Amino acid sequence: MMDHKRITMMLAGIWAIVAVLPLFFGGTDFIMHILIMCLIWSVVASCWDLIMGFAGIFSFGQVAFFVIGSYTSAIVSARFGIPPVFAVFIAGGFTALVGILVGLPCLKLKGAYIALVTFAVHMILEPVLKGDIGQAIGTGGTRGLLSIDPMTLFGYTFTTASPIPYFYLFFLVAVACSVIILLVIRSHWGTAFLALKDSQEFATCLGVSAFKYKLMVFALTSFLTGMMGGFYAHYVGMLSTRMLGIDLFVTLMVILVIGGVGKFPGAIIGAFITIAINELLSPLGPYRPITMGALVVILVLVLPDGIVGLFEKLFSGSRRLSPKGH
Amino acid sequence: MKQRLSIILMLMLSLVAAPALMAAETIKVGVPLAMTGPYTDTGDNYWKGIKMAIDEINDAGGLLGKPLEPVRFDTQEFAPERVMQGADYLCGQIKVDSVHAGWAGWGQDVRAYGKYTAPFFADDGSQAAVDVFNEDREQYKNIFQLTDTGINQAQSMFNVLMALPYEYPNNKAVIITADDAWGTEVGETLKKNFKEKGWEVAMHELVPYGTNQWGPLLTQIRRIKPAIIHVEIVSAQEVITFFRQFMQRPTNSILSYGYSLVPREVVETMGTEADGLLGEVPTAMPTPEAPTPEAQAWLDKFESIWGHLPQAGSWAAYSGVKAWAAAVEAVGDEKKHDAVSDHIATHGYKGETGWWKWDEDHVMRAGGDVPIAHFQVQNGEMVAIFTDPPTRPYKNYQFQVPRWIKQ
Repeated sequence: MMDHKRITMMLAGIWAIVAVLPLFFGGTDFIMHILIMCLIWSVVASCWDLIMGFAGIFSFGQVAFFVIGSYTSAIVSARFGIPPVFAVFIAGGFTALVGILVGLPCLKLKGAYIALVTFAVHMILEPVLKGDIGQAIGTGGTRGLLSIDPMTLFGYTFTTASPIPYFYLFFLVAVACSVIILLVIRSHWGTAFLALKDSQEFATCLGVSAFKYKLMVFALTSFLTGMMGGFYAHYVGMLSTRMLGIDLFVTLMVILVIGGVGKFPGAIIGAFITIAINELLSPLGPYRPITMGALVVILVLVLPDGIVGLFEKLFSGSRRLSPKGH
Repeated sequence: MKQRLSIILMLMLSLVAAPALMAAETIKVGVPLAMTGPYTDTGDNYWKGIKMAIDEINDAGGLLGKPLEPVRFDTQEFAPERVMQGADYLCGQIKVDSVHAGWAGWGQDVRAYGKYTAPFFADDGSQAAVDVFNEDREQYKNIFQLTDTGINQAQSMFNVLMALPYEYPNNKAVIITADDAWGTEVGETLKKNFKEKGWEVAMHELVPYGTNQWGPLLTQIRRIKPAIIHVEIVSAQEVITFFRQFMQRPTNSILSYGYSLVPREVVETMGTEADGLLGEVPTAMPTPEAPTPEAQAWLDKFESIWGHLPQAGSWAAYSGVKAWAAAVEAVGDEKKHDAVSDHIATHGYKGETGWWKWDEDHVMRAGGDVPIAHFQVQNGEMVAIFTDPPTRPYKNYQFQVPRWIKQ
């Protein structure tokens, strides 16, 4: 694993590059929209990486948490007149609560069984949102929500017609989320996650509470993912359960694989690379998923630790090659 | 390493630059359809009609002397951001002069493409899409629906079920629909109609796509012995498995598949095994015999190009392109989007079967020269037996009592 200083530098470098992208693409709404989606998926994938890659919890509920957050924010702002800027935090809080509820039974489980429980949440969510319960709480049932208020901040209303302000709003949110994740990794939480991942029994003997830390990681990643879902809802302005299709799930997995599982900030790099490749392959039509799948297989074989793993190798290689004392 | 990197960069650049290099004096036409994922088959149906129309126009010298160039966009599973991305790409980035879709987002598309001015044709068949349109008619005046809503299509299905020359053994119905917007819209409308007519809806089930094991539901159905079973899941696998499991011990029930009959695989996979099934297609070209000589010529041409009879949506999408092209010719400038939209809305379009007229909601309502066609599978092919509204038998084609019904 890279040292914390190098992770921080890499993160700073990534965000410095991303910050100037509107200078080149600001005039093209379509590309700005893709960049905004990259920022959203970078946070969601980073949260997934934190829980799966660092904490070693095979949670497959990340898309579900994202959808819960998006619907919560949209419903809270529409039903109770709460401004979207606050509604997204309420959505994050509610999703964290759901995350804890999902996390509790998972604490008694290991590996694939956690994956099953969390994926069950994903599977259950669609019929709940479409059915009577969903309609009663205002999900719009099978129609979805087709009119969601845009984000307003200090009297300024963000609209998709001018994506640059929206880009920087999402940029700030993504930077804040990545800093939180970085701080967690650097703190004793991060050490505890790694200890629990390597050997839960040994870590417990050292006084690391698996219960406490696993629940905390569920709460934190659910909060950030749910909040990002809220931002997504107010950005796109409409929601449907089609987000629970296999496409997004697979995209996020590919992001993790390309970035490197447990290789923060790999998920951020992975998000930008995956979305860019996906869009570049669009002209291939039905051959896009085949090509994308083949690329992923090749990447997994060539770069099992993702892009960040490659950087690690390059850095360690250059360090070995450099003369002593340098 | 450097060599490999430069090859990858060249490949990527060629993918990006290819559309720009082809951009000579052409009129760009956006085609957002599902090219991957579970809706690929319906996307393909629409594409066949759109491609045929574009090729015809180009073969005749283009539109206003300029060839049409389709620009495709894969809508995948219609996630909200994907629908929006399609609009931003086609209208914002490529700046197409019209957009021809099929299933396009059931309301999400109205919002996404309504931000722009290029005329947009969809086949949502959804009341939700109409409701969004009515929120701001001026803003969404470029939106045109090629088919009537699910509510009206379900009403038409009911009308024909009641008009069949067949005496039902009882007044019990079973409704099974997909748990999506289309399925619920159709299911609820049918249920209301059955009840108003004094029928008992003994079972109304919503099932997710991917349901292939029908044992528990069929056990209940065999206990109920309904006179009508209506299944509304627009996916071949589900309706084929339902039929085959039903046929292991069939009840004396008319099997009505509504719009679920139209995925081409249903008839192609089952052939004569599917004989007896009923279904409907809105804004349809009745087959195997078209209503007018012009329509018959179109039907023959379609079959010669694609090797099979048209599926649902092919003719509707074809007609959308032709309606737009006729409006552009009348206005004289494809860039005058508002004028083109106004022309379509006020003048309509004369197609192979007669006039296409959009109503004040910009919906191509069923009826007149373009009614809903109701089919029965006979000898392994879809045969139009009724049109509606008004409900009347189609030519000399007749309903046949399905072979599993013991009278």
